[in-house]
Amino acid sequence: MALIEVKDLAKAFDGKTVLKGINLELSEGQSKVVMGTSGCGKSTLLRCLNLLLPPTSGRIIFKGEDITRPGVDIRKVRADIGFVFQHFALYRHLTVEENVTLGLRKLKKMKATEAVQKASHELERVGMIEHRGKYPAQLSGGQKQRAAIVRALAMDPAVLFLDEPTSALDPEMSREVVTVINKLFLENVTMLCVTHDPFLAKYISDSIIFLDEGVVVAEDIAERLFYNHADPRIKHFFMSVIDHR
Amino acid sequence: MDAFIQDLIAYWPQILAGLKNTVVLMVIMSVTGLMGGVGVFYLTLSSHKAVRRWMDGFISFFIGTPLIVHLFLMYYGLPELGIRLSAFTVAVIGFTLNVSAYNARYLATAYNGLDKTELEAARSQGFTRRETFRLIIMPQVMRMSVPSLTNQAIQNLKDTSVAFLIQYHDFFAQMQEVASTNFQFFKAYVTAGAVYLALISIIVLAARRLEKRIALPGLAT
Amino acid sequence: MTFGNILIILAEGAGYTVLVTLASISAGLAVGLSLAVLSTLRWKAVSLFLAVYTYVFRSIPVLVLLFILFFGLPGIGIRISPFVSMVATLGLVSGAYLAEVFRGAMAAVDGDEILAAEAAGLNRWEIFFYIIMPQMFRMSVPGMINEFTSVLKYTPFAYTVGIPEIMKEAMSLAALTLRGLEIYLAVGILYFLIYKLFVMFFMTLEKRFRVPGLASK
Ligand SMILES: Nc1ncnc2c1ncn2[C@@H]1O[C@H](COP(=O)(O)OP(=O)(O)OP(=O)(O)O)[C@@H](O)[C@H]1O
Ligand SMILES: [Mg+2]
Repeated sequence: MALIEVKDLAKAFDGKTVLKGINLELSEGQSKVVMGTSGCGKSTLLRCLNLLLPPTSGRIIFKGEDITRPGVDIRKVRADIGFVFQHFALYRHLTVEENVTLGLRKLKKMKATEAVQKASHELERVGMIEHRGKYPAQLSGGQKQRAAIVRALAMDPAVLFLDEPTSALDPEMSREVVTVINKLFLENVTMLCVTHDPFLAKYISDSIIFLDEGVVVAEDIAERLFYNHADPRIKHFFMSVIDHR
Repeated sequence: MDAFIQDLIAYWPQILAGLKNTVVLMVIMSVTGLMGGVGVFYLTLSSHKAVRRWMDGFISFFIGTPLIVHLFLMYYGLPELGIRLSAFTVAVIGFTLNVSAYNARYLATAYNGLDKTELEAARSQGFTRRETFRLIIMPQVMRMSVPSLTNQAIQNLKDTSVAFLIQYHDFFAQMQEVASTNFQFFKAYVTAGAVYLALISIIVLAARRLEKRIALPGLAT
Repeated sequence: MTFGNILIILAEGAGYTVLVTLASISAGLAVGLSLAVLSTLRWKAVSLFLAVYTYVFRSIPVLVLLFILFFGLPGIGIRISPFVSMVATLGLVSGAYLAEVFRGAMAAVDGDEILAAEAAGLNRWEIFFYIIMPQMFRMSVPGMINEFTSVLKYTPFAYTVGIPEIMKEAMSLAALTLRGLEIYLAVGILYFLIYKLFVMFFMTLEKRFRVPGLASK
């Protein structure tokens, strides 16, 4: 059974349709990437899936439960979905370690020492342990994003959502972050990642979902999507993004 | 010895009592005004439009009307309804409303400067509105507002002198007393001014230390 | 006597309130602007004077300063009218605040523009009047509105020196009719109206002179 199953999802903002007829599945241990032109609804899709935005219609089955039904504990669902943002969104008044432990202590009700232990373990995994005492303002972009990834992972989420995790970074820092996400991919962390970067997409996905004007146009592996696709929209999109590199 | 100084010494116990009243009023209204300000600020973030409207109205009204009018309304107006409050009570209530409005506005200004994606991150982690307010918004907004909040505390100390107009026996009222016995108005009022200056210097120094202590990298106060 | 009547009687005092406010604002602007200009000189003695001035006039309560000027000065042989003492008090105090506002705004003027003006051969004063001042005023709008609001709110103190503005009228009326509640409520409403009008007036002024890119947050 799929971990997430989306059925006929639609989203409109004040009557303006942004997503329609979205169907997709994500199984445990699977990693998928969402690509598409700017404004096609990628971020909106991710935000609907963890109910940061209320979907207009359709169903989202998460761990076998329809979370679009009233009476669902939204907090619990969100705590079970890690979210990594384009601009890091680290809490500026907290150190790296405190950013990680806040959710553990307040949402998972861990004891302080236990939370710190867990945070250290996770920070170690991405090579951030020596920066644990620093504030976000004292970190490079790549370090910030790695810290943000740890903050999400430390909660032991069932799935990790990433919304353009590398687009605010210069190439070198971007590589730093790609390496980390690739490592997660190899460890079979369940992921759904939005990106414009074909390099990242290829190295962290089992398959790529192509979104155009709020509709899923295709889902396939990188090799078959990237080059000379039959659909002109897809062909055009990848020609432009790949040529630019 | 100068006659004025002799009078000051003669009136010393009274002046000291007045000074105490001034400081007490200032401390009380700074605390209640801060609590009120945080409360009003919290309500300005409410998901209910009506609540936000009322709070904006509250802030705008108390910033737009003179404090002394509120004091007079309560002190000279309420007895008409049979409600007789002491000058002290009137001062505390009036100042609290006034200071809350100002503090709420400072906090709201700081809030506008926050990085809203952090709030989205908190929501996506599963924090409730209230938790987000307490854990993410307040620690940042309070730090950023330290200069305005301490300026307000200075303002509070100065404004206590208004309370003498409703017969509160503050420091300025006592100096008034001294002046009216020896007719040395100039000396009495200048002395009063100097004392306020000294008291404010204490607040300024304390504020500087506080600012240094709670400053964080990347979170300028 | 209806509430409307009360409002009308008090509105007669509003003329004085507005007059005192406008005169005080003008005095404050004159003081603040002079201090801000002085501060550009960067002479040691001048900056010391400015620091002391700002510190003193931001620390002394308005009421105390008013009493020094009106009741105190005659003791050393200087006698000034109630109106002048009130306007001088608020002018001195708001001047100290406005100087800070102006200095902050001046510091925000792009240094390159000044360099460019120097390169174009403008002298110090021309640079100040044509480059710095127009930008400074626009960026100072929020600070000025704050300060003008404070001035308006201090004008009721004028009753203590006998100026027949709103508060004084209200007190006489209250003594006569013993209806303090409605009267002071009316005073509050009147002040709020004047405040709203002032803010609206300055906002329109600001809009009229707004230049894209020169924000006045
Ligand atoms: N809160 C909102 N209210 C109204 N319209 C919105 C809102 N959020 C997004 N939209 C609109 O929905 C469409 C999709 O936005 P979305 O952010 O999902 O695009 P995206 O695919 O993530 O784009 P990008 O690659 O630029 O991040 C856009 O046209 C956007 O203007
Ligand atoms: Mg997006």
